[in-house]
Amino acid sequence: MSILRGFLILVLFFLLGESLRLVFLVPISGGILGLMLLTLYLMVTGGVSKPVASASQALISVLILLIMPGLTEIFFISGKFTGQWLAVSVSLLVGTFLSVVTTLVLLNLLARKLPPEPDHHE
Amino acid sequence: MNSPSTVWERLLTLSHVLADTPMLAVAMTILAFFAANSVYIAIGRPVWLPPVVPAATILAGMIALLGLDPDSYREGASWLMLLLGPATVALGVPLYQNIHHIRAMLWPIVLTLPIAASLAVLYTLVIAWALGASPTVMASLAPKSVTAAIALGIGEIIGSSVPMLMAALLITGVFTTLCVEVATRLLNITDERVIGFALGLNGHAIGTVRAFEISATAGAFSSLGMSLTGLFTALLLPLLFNL
Repeated sequence: MSILRGFLILVLFFLLGESLRLVFLVPISGGILGLMLLTLYLMVTGGVSKPVASASQALISVLILLIMPGLTEIFFISGKFTGQWLAVSVSLLVGTFLSVVTTLVLLNLLARKLPPEPDHHE
Repeated sequence: MNSPSTVWERLLTLSHVLADTPMLAVAMTILAFFAANSVYIAIGRPVWLPPVVPAATILAGMIALLGLDPDSYREGASWLMLLLGPATVALGVPLYQNIHHIRAMLWPIVLTLPIAASLAVLYTLVIAWALGASPTVMASLAPKSVTAAIALGIGEIIGSSVPMLMAALLITGVFTTLCVEVATRLLNITDERVIGFALGLNGHAIGTVRAFEISATAGAFSSLGMSLTGLFTALLLPLLFNL
């Protein structure tokens, strides 16, 4: 029963996110808004209840199951992106290499330059 | 269409009749998931092969073997994919559990996140645009560093092609682990928090699997980088694509 209760809470947060999207015309999907709201809720209440923890663990463990139908379509769209694959592969490979280097250099520099904040308790 | 009269004829058309109910698609997807899981464990869980690749390959093979129409499969599988909504919300739990790590390097992360996550999008978009990519392809490449559940949510808004988006995510994730390996050696970076954050920011869940192989600290910072990048990109891309 516990996992079902947790699932209900996740679905309610999803519906809340979906409602916000539809009412305020936010260009962000209901699931992502729900994720933001759940995170805020957990930070405010300061803890994850057992039902929510077990339901979220169960769903996250089958995420691959939920995304594989989308990837499977790649086998059936031959020809749809003819002439685009060079742009796709070059931009992904070069773009990823550049952004990895950017992240490493920037964060390493900032982490070294800035002394640890004195008002930290941990 | 005349209805089949013998048992044999009814048997031959069975997969097409069952394909009209979502249950066949649901069963095939779960079956392929478990089959791929065994294959993946048997070949030693290589980082260069995300588990969703053998899963999707086995599934595509089953669809082809049964001679099903991919569109009717997709319609059936959409019943399963309804769970993607609450599963996306569920990502808030690991985010909450990792968010305290941000305190260890608050300002470096707060400054790096928007710059690096924006550039992760922009480098690729500029190159793709220069090489003549179509608007749909650009919209499919843009969320390349975002974890799949969030990326699909972004794709819905900006008009991505789902299979192209998934392929872009996988290529980016795998290539990120390779780039981080090479770049940390060249740049002589040893801080596991920095390495983990870079793996998660650029390589989402695939980078995070690699980060947990390095250490628990790298894994925690990678999870944090992955979640924060997902949320930041979900705010950025709708604005960028509405311009």
